[in-house]
Amino acid sequence: MEDRPKKAHRPRVAGAKVEKKHKTNAKNNPKAFAPQSGRKAERTSRRNQDLSEKKLHVPLVDRTPLDPPPVIVAVVGPPKSGKTTLIKSLVKKYTKHSVGEVKGPITVISGKKRRLTFIECVNDMNAMIDVAKVADLVLLTIDASFGFEMETFEFLNILQTHGFPRIMGVLTHLDEIRSSKRVSAVKKSMKRRFWTEIYQGAKLFYLSGIINGRYPNNEIQNLSRFISVMKFRPLVWRNTHPYLIADRVEDLTDPEAVRLNPKCDRTVTLYGYLRGTNFKQSTKVHIPGAGDFVVDNVSDLPDPCPLPDKVRKRLSEKQKLIHAPMSDIGGIMYDKDAVYIDVTDTFSKVAISDGGADGAAAKGNMSQGVKMVVDLQDAQDTLADKLQGTELRVFADSRPMRAADLAADASKRRPMFAGEDEDEDEDEDEDESMDSDDSDEADSDAEDSADDRVRRRQHVGDISEDDMPAGARNEEIPYADTDSELEVDSGVEDLDHMSADGSEKDEGDDDSEDESDEEELDGNLRWKQNLEERASSLFQRRRRARTIMQMIYDDEEQSMPRTAGRLLSGRDGNGGQSDEDEETSLFIQRSSDVTVTDSAKMVFSAADIDAWKQKDIASLLQGRFLAVDEMEEQENSGSNEDGESDEDGDSKDGSDDDNDGGSGSDAEVDDAEAERRRIAKKKEELKRRFDAEYDDAWDEEEKQDMFEEAKDIMGKQQELNRQEFADDNPELRSAVQGHLPGTYVRVLLKEMPCEFVTHFDPAYPVVLGGLLPSEETYGFVQVRIKRHRWHPKILKTNDPLIFSIGWRRFQSIPLYSLDDGTRNRMLKYTPEHMHCLATFYGPVTPPSTGFCAVQSVADGRASFRISATGVVLDINQSTEIVKKLKLTGVPYKVYKNSAFIKDMFNSVLEVAKFEGAQVRTVSGIRGQVKKAINNKPGCFRATFEDKLLMSDIVFLRGWYSVKPKKFCSAVTSLLLSNKTTWQGVRLTAQVRYEAGQAVPQKAGSAYRAIERTPRRFNALRIPKALQADLPFASKPKVQQRAKKKADKRLAVVLEPKEKDIITMLQQIQTIRKEKIRKRKVQKNEKREQAARVKAKEEEKALTRAKKERKEYFREESKAEKRKASGGGSRSKKARREE
Amino acid sequence: MTSLLRFESHNFFRQRLLLAALSGRPVRIDRIRSEDDNPGLRDCEAGFLRLMEKVTNGSAIEISYTGTTVVFKPGVIVGGRVQHDCGTERGIGYYLEALIALAPFTKTPIHATLTGITSDNQDVSVDTLRTVTLVNLKRWGLDAGIELKITKRGAPPLGGGEVTFHCPNVRALKPIQFTDEGKIKRVRGIAYSTRVSPQTANRLVDAARNVLGEYLPDVYIYTDHYKGQDSGRSPGFAVSLVAESTTGVLLSTELAAEAGQTPEEVGEQAAYMLLKEVGRGGCIDTTSQWLALLLMVLGPEDVSKIRLGALTPFTVQFLRDLKKAFGTVFKVAEDEETNTLLLTCMGVGYVNVNKKTT
Repeated sequence: MEDRPKKAHRPRVAGAKVEKKHKTNAKNNPKAFAPQSGRKAERTSRRNQDLSEKKLHVPLVDRTPLDPPPVIVAVVGPPKSGKTTLIKSLVKKYTKHSVGEVKGPITVISGKKRRLTFIECVNDMNAMIDVAKVADLVLLTIDASFGFEMETFEFLNILQTHGFPRIMGVLTHLDEIRSSKRVSAVKKSMKRRFWTEIYQGAKLFYLSGIINGRYPNNEIQNLSRFISVMKFRPLVWRNTHPYLIADRVEDLTDPEAVRLNPKCDRTVTLYGYLRGTNFKQSTKVHIPGAGDFVVDNVSDLPDPCPLPDKVRKRLSEKQKLIHAPMSDIGGIMYDKDAVYIDVTDTFSKVAISDGGADGAAAKGNMSQGVKMVVDLQDAQDTLADKLQGTELRVFADSRPMRAADLAADASKRRPMFAGEDEDEDEDEDEDESMDSDDSDEADSDAEDSADDRVRRRQHVGDISEDDMPAGARNEEIPYADTDSELEVDSGVEDLDHMSADGSEKDEGDDDSEDESDEEELDGNLRWKQNLEERASSLFQRRRRARTIMQMIYDDEEQSMPRTAGRLLSGRDGNGGQSDEDEETSLFIQRSSDVTVTDSAKMVFSAADIDAWKQKDIASLLQGRFLAVDEMEEQENSGSNEDGESDEDGDSKDGSDDDNDGGSGSDAEVDDAEAERRRIAKKKEELKRRFDAEYDDAWDEEEKQDMFEEAKDIMGKQQELNRQEFADDNPELRSAVQGHLPGTYVRVLLKEMPCEFVTHFDPAYPVVLGGLLPSEETYGFVQVRIKRHRWHPKILKTNDPLIFSIGWRRFQSIPLYSLDDGTRNRMLKYTPEHMHCLATFYGPVTPPSTGFCAVQSVADGRASFRISATGVVLDINQSTEIVKKLKLTGVPYKVYKNSAFIKDMFNSVLEVAKFEGAQVRTVSGIRGQVKKAINNKPGCFRATFEDKLLMSDIVFLRGWYSVKPKKFCSAVTSLLLSNKTTWQGVRLTAQVRYEAGQAVPQKAGSAYRAIERTPRRFNALRIPKALQADLPFASKPKVQQRAKKKADKRLAVVLEPKEKDIITMLQQIQTIRKEKIRKRKVQKNEKREQAARVKAKEEEKALTRAKKERKEYFREESKAEKRKASGGGSRSKKARREE
Repeated sequence: MTSLLRFESHNFFRQRLLLAALSGRPVRIDRIRSEDDNPGLRDCEAGFLRLMEKVTNGSAIEISYTGTTVVFKPGVIVGGRVQHDCGTERGIGYYLEALIALAPFTKTPIHATLTGITSDNQDVSVDTLRTVTLVNLKRWGLDAGIELKITKRGAPPLGGGEVTFHCPNVRALKPIQFTDEGKIKRVRGIAYSTRVSPQTANRLVDAARNVLGEYLPDVYIYTDHYKGQDSGRSPGFAVSLVAESTTGVLLSTELAAEAGQTPEEVGEQAAYMLLKEVGRGGCIDTTSQWLALLLMVLGPEDVSKIRLGALTPFTVQFLRDLKKAFGTVFKVAEDEETNTLLLTCMGVGYVNVNKKTT
């Protein structure tokens, strides 16, 4: 029995027990997983909360379009740190192109959905600031063999104040460090430093060396992978302003004008991808380093570097495009102005003719193709000029037509009223000018008395009249007879004319007659009719929309079109004739009285109302009012089943009707049923409301938090923005929406300073920053500023600073101040380690825009150049900065509590101004200015809380308002031939130093030693009589006499033993002194000897070093010379970077 | 650098100055009644210039000797406490309309006290501004703290009314999508009377209700009779009607009595005018079309869309001026079903640069 094996336990597979077990698995034991201590739980949860909160950022609208512009990758670093090599390596990686020289932006396609624009930033403060404002990703090259340089940190600080785009560090020159141990140590220490500056974990790349003048392929491959997955956070400034980096700049000035005046203003086109927000035609732009400009024209160009439209797994070689017009990458470029072909010198006419005899020989040997190209350069006129010169003879005996004549005709318009044509503005619409020529003759024939109407038609109803078939005109495009108009300025005339004409329909008839006449005359218009018949209804519809806009925007004479059609009508003096039109019109017409009142309010006369009353208002307003049943639904109360909506009765009547409508017992049953349903519905509604009020508050999952809600709203709005113009034609889109970011555009700027062209250097980025409406004005800008802790000096009030705010770089004169809660007090210097306020005159910038400031952009000093950073707080046209002013005076007569004070003011008037002001003495007695003394100008009576002494000084604390200097000058570095030498207003100290002047000192401010003679008090003598009366405690006591000292006259006679002791002591002392003296002499001697030896050794070392250095530099210069004779480009670049 | 805006004629004077102040561009208005027997600025226009000077800081106004040319160089819009006597030439609405347009963009919230004529037939009455215009402002994100209080009524010709206007300032407006007209569900209104029999207001109400009751059951017109000090200097009565739709559209009309008119006439006429306004459709009534368009333009760089009934000449001219000042063009599409216009624009990304940050 015992050794029989025990039956194995068979767990239950079904039943209540199993179900119970399933329920109580580990997770359902709340106690086991509960935190052990409450405090710990609280800490963990708080930490988790902190982490999740940290991840949140203020939700920003991301305005990057669906096909975004190329990402700007700026390569920044100190000279000789490998910037160019990095760009060359990356470009080679992406496109298999070898760029000879990196000039200007280089755009490449890096993937299926991403393009990159590489910019190299030269080592100049101006360029660094401009690049920091536009770069999406910054590759900071750092020479590892040297370590961090000042430029890197300066650039990081600039970046931080302008939005902090993405940054990746690239350590180069690692191969120059010999030992591998040292390499890893350098990597580690530099990584630490880099992380503290940016954030923990910022990406730092190590490029280990150069192979074939480029970095190793696998390392570049790695870098490119990081670039391709980089995500970008929208930056506030760039998200609210349109901008563009010019990757091509062309001078379109007439060469003749330049020849006549080399310094004439230039017409320049800039090309580039639009970024930021939509760029509208009217946007003002700022080019940092050049100034503010008005954009003359913006036009979309086909994308020179389009993203591949076919999505394959990998980019084909054909799709790996590169666009770098400033660099030496060959090819053909098209644009609106010309076709550009990169040609070698063999094609150049100049090169051939320069060649002299050889050139002539070469010309003979040229191949046919080359010859054609060279001959092309002989052309005298442009194609347009030649076209102008061509003639067309229609009939044998007719005068030949010239294009130039036609153009002149087209642009000429006959004036109607002398005053009216003057009003016309310059931007005449194209179609207007197209039509005006063919109708001119018609006018003269067809019109006699009402000639002005037809005259106007040409620019109001141009399309409709000319294009529409006669039958369709009245229904389809009703405003075809936009025969007359309302002048805004001289409207009275027109109105007179109108009321005289009578009904509008009549006018329409007249006009159609006129038109038929006109059409007979203008035979050339008939073909258009056929065209129109063929046009689809959709097309008509769209054009119609356009034409409403035309009516609003294109009528430059500020006219108000009026037609007999349904678009327009309204009310004229007689009223009532054109009622139908009025009901369906989209414009309301003005009557004369309204014209005068300058008010948006429409007032109708009693006659109008009477006319309106006559009509069938109910049918006109059908559907505009909520029917009774709908209304009841709205109110969520039960609706009656009879359903007869009674529009005309009010609610009470309606319910009565319902009650009457039922009949007999059926009605009663129905009523009961209805009542029950009504109550049920009401209950349901109440429950729903209750749920809505109380449930949602607890239901966290369903409810979005504030952050998500805001993001949701933004997303919806973005979607709306995209959809709204999706099916509009491009012209309308560009007019309403502007040019979208991501498009490649050509921006035409006129009146550019000639230096922009003559001193153009592709190494310096040309940024075209769009300005918002208010940003072109100037005012006093108040900023919160902090001197940079690495800047060597504190900043002084009224010393000029160069600010970089928004797009702009400008020099201004700040006034520092500190708000002490009651007033804004001027500071002479910026406080150490603290923010203060600064106020300066400058361009208006939206508050909370960051900025940085430097003292000079010219010098490449070793010290840290960023002087201060901060943020814009306030814009105003006046300032309220005060400094303390103390007026002092002295009493010349003192009574009990009042005193007469002099030397504080100069006149009675001055005193009057300060009556009632608080004054105080140095000793702290407070008082008040009472009244001026008439016969003593400037003196006044004042009362105090105590009696003054004649020796007291009375002062009045006042405030003197200081104004910042109204100075602001843009840093025009791009216009200089040497871009690094911009010099603005100098610091006062600098001016003095250069003029050799000392700081002027006021005589009164000079320091004088204060002589403080000790005050002598006379002994207090108490009269005897008084003494007698005093109590004992107060009575002067008899002074105790001082203790007698030993008399010097007495001689001291020593005991013999004592004498011996003293002698002995003296002798010991003497011996010791002698010993010390000898040791000292010895030590000095030794020291001198050591110095002599050391000097000798140093001299030796110096001569050796000199010799070595000499040797080294000789070798170096030899190598330089060799190199210079070998390849020129390298040295040129090196020179530039120095 | 900032380019000068140039305009001509005395018309649209306020709107042009407003555009100048908001865009920060100086404006020059020429030929102000140069052909008139009495050339130059009227008192109300001069008063308006004074008001502009009060609410701005650093503005410069130059008026030519004949008064036919005005140059206005705008400063910073400051707001704050403003007191202005509107005179008796024009109503308070003439000034207040402009103040409402400026108020969101001031440095400090505006607290204005205006005295003059509270309602007449030239300008928008303060009632309409309070019940319609200010309510509509909510759609642009101006909700809390906006208030217009009518402390005294003043009928033409002598006026004597007083209103106080408070409005918060904002950093930026919100874009609006306001295209759903809905159906008119109720009509509200105010009939007021000063220095006449208190019964007058009731008579106005009855007349208006008689007309409107045919179409709509829910018509309620408040009566408001002012007595003593608060009733201004002239007798008068007026009615202002607001039709409210299911989607919150407010369409209003108003009519003030002129000499010799009976309350019945006025009430009936106003009611018919309201019907006319309703027939015209749109989401914003004709009087505040321009304000809606202005605030759309001054929005962020997003699409704003609005449905309007027929455009008044005033609005058309305002659209042109808007194009001149801000370069904004509206896309105008016609909705043939409802016979209304859909106006769409991209805001200029206007930011209230005047408002301080902390």
